[in-house]
Amino acid sequence: MQDRVAPIMDTSIGSEYDSLREEVRSFFAANEDVAVPAGPGFGGDASEVRRRVVEWQKRLVDGGYAGREIPQRYGGAGHEPDPLASLVIEEEFQDAGISLGMENQGISMFVPTLLHFGREDQKQDLIRPTIRGEMIWCQGYSEPGSGSDLASLRTSAVLDGDEYVINGQKIWTSGAREAEMMFALIRTEADAGKHAGISYIVLPMDTPGIEVRPLMTMTGDASFNEVFFTDVRVPATNVIGRPGQGWEVGTYTLRFERNMLGRSNATENYLTGCVDILRETGLIDSPVYRDRLLKLEGRVQAMKYHQLRLLTDRLKKRDSGAGGLIVKLNNCQLNYDVCALAIDAMAERGVLRRGSKHVRDYGNWQRNYMYALGLIIGGGTAQIQKNIIGERGLGLPREPKPAAA
Amino acid sequence: MDFGLTQPQELLRDSIARFLAQDVGIERVRRVMDSDSGRDEAIHGQLGDQGITGLLIDMDFGGSELGMQEAAIAAQELGRAAAPVNFHSAYVLAPLLLAGADAGERKSALLEGIAEGRSLITPILDAPIDGGRIDGAVLYVPDAPWSDAFLLESGGSLHLLDASVPGIDIEPLETVDDTRRVAEVTFAGIDLGAAESLGGSADSTRRAVHAARIALAADALGAAQKGLHISVEYAKERKQFERIIGSFQAVKHICAEVLAEVDPVQSLLWHTADAWDGGSDEINHLAPLLKAHATEVASTAVTMTTQVFGGMGFTHECDMHIFYKRAGYDRQMMGNPTALREQAAAVMYG
Repeated sequence: MQDRVAPIMDTSIGSEYDSLREEVRSFFAANEDVAVPAGPGFGGDASEVRRRVVEWQKRLVDGGYAGREIPQRYGGAGHEPDPLASLVIEEEFQDAGISLGMENQGISMFVPTLLHFGREDQKQDLIRPTIRGEMIWCQGYSEPGSGSDLASLRTSAVLDGDEYVINGQKIWTSGAREAEMMFALIRTEADAGKHAGISYIVLPMDTPGIEVRPLMTMTGDASFNEVFFTDVRVPATNVIGRPGQGWEVGTYTLRFERNMLGRSNATENYLTGCVDILRETGLIDSPVYRDRLLKLEGRVQAMKYHQLRLLTDRLKKRDSGAGGLIVKLNNCQLNYDVCALAIDAMAERGVLRRGSKHVRDYGNWQRNYMYALGLIIGGGTAQIQKNIIGERGLGLPREPKPAAA
Repeated sequence: MDFGLTQPQELLRDSIARFLAQDVGIERVRRVMDSDSGRDEAIHGQLGDQGITGLLIDMDFGGSELGMQEAAIAAQELGRAAAPVNFHSAYVLAPLLLAGADAGERKSALLEGIAEGRSLITPILDAPIDGGRIDGAVLYVPDAPWSDAFLLESGGSLHLLDASVPGIDIEPLETVDDTRRVAEVTFAGIDLGAAESLGGSADSTRRAVHAARIALAADALGAAQKGLHISVEYAKERKQFERIIGSFQAVKHICAEVLAEVDPVQSLLWHTADAWDGGSDEINHLAPLLKAHATEVASTAVTMTTQVFGGMGFTHECDMHIFYKRAGYDRQMMGNPTALREQAAAVMYG
């Protein structure tokens, strides 16, 4: 038994991927001049940040690392879906501390949905500029009266000839001022059932009748907005999928949102950064801080291997059951807790925000601490996640509908 | 990439679970809990027949020569059943310490006895051996009243002391978890010559301790999973205010939170057992980190799921307290979470 040295579990990627690793490394070497670093150490002037991020995004698409599995006719690299190749690429980028490109609602949520439900002409027009970072999208789902109960939304579109006329309001719309386009859930059939009367519509943000008002968030950024629609006219052909199919299309998109919000690589990067702060401040030797750090280590490591388990399920085309439903809940909370420890370790320096003298890492820790709280709430609140885990994962009954008044 | 149990490992898990469901049901566990001694004499032979005692023993000595992954599978199922056995001590620590002993007839005979479920050898780490004498009291020794022999470890060296040697006093202690008892063992200045020297090494002791901690973590995970399972089942049946209580978010969210914390522990357990089997240096921080994390999560899990039962959860009649206490024993023995986090930190951060 002592001489059994081969691990039982194959967590290796296989030598057939060695050449891919080499490829990624030469890509880094060739594009050093524009590579954007990952993690808390990148920031500064907002327009300069955006310029660099978009420039890097184009290189990533041309190199086949962003939009990797998007067909070539739509501007992607056309690779077959290969979770192991994706893992190798993620590992290489993570080890090098380099950003794997833009992760926004257009790239991560809209494009996969369009690929599944869209018409050929829509795919031709919209995917290429989106993955290259030239066409930024925002998501028009939530409304003032429709948060967790999304299907109660009331923004309406009425058919007038070959155009829809849209009236209503959206809220919590991230990036609406920067976005060129919006994908939105809009009620097109007032008399159909709650879920049946909704359509998934795309519209340019410069269409007359759209007004965007920034909504300041606790981070000090106006990253959210309210979007008002007054007689906004869009071609009826702007529907993705069929009219009335919007709930199905829109919830398909949300699946990608849960994945986007629940990635664990970022958590590991932040934990590494947190250890750096503890070392610099000498607090790494404090038993109290060590204990907090190790509690986080346990949770981070458990989620890291949990992801390998989910990846194995994907490779074997096996349903992960409840295991797949807990990722967003856990990782968003973990990100928050890691930032909290880093800020505590900064002591009074932790009160500074971006732009201040003496601030560490461009104020990214403070911003991400608060932003992580936003993500605990956004994309389906933690409480809604727990309903999903309880009902779909554990088979507990739904909350009964209140008796009609 | 294939992170998870192999098919033979899944079959092993299912067969152990089947055996425990049939032969070591909760009524039997309760009989042992209610007995004065806390001894289940038959269980060792039965575990031997099932091959569970010999998972970590070489085939040459009658074992199945499997690894930590298989031992962790067994430990998790034993925890799930709250089986009255100190698996981590008798069938992980003891055989692994003996595996590092000098080869010889004695070693073969001992390992064969363990593999068959005939011999119960209780290891005592850091035994009070000084100046050629075994002298002093050792606390919290599992299985002591019915051990055949004590395997004394000191500085990596092993000595086997037959339990019948004069000068050994055993006093059972009262434990919260009645499924596994511990005792105070006092050695009254016994000449070391009365014990048999078996060699041993510090390295092999360290690995054996890691393995025993992994087994305790697996036991706690099994207990936490069982506690969640029975509380979810209860929440699907119990009605209050004319509603199934599991439809109340206050109850549903307890179950969801517990699942979200417990489920990833399985993956950390798999990885840690795998690192042990692969001989990776990672094990030096992973084993203490796993035991700290798994037992911390298990404690919270049983605390929360007990509340799903309302007042019933506090009764002796409801099974929940069995798993609650089980997780508590796993938490305290061989390093509690706080101590083990410090140990892992020392390896990771100096």
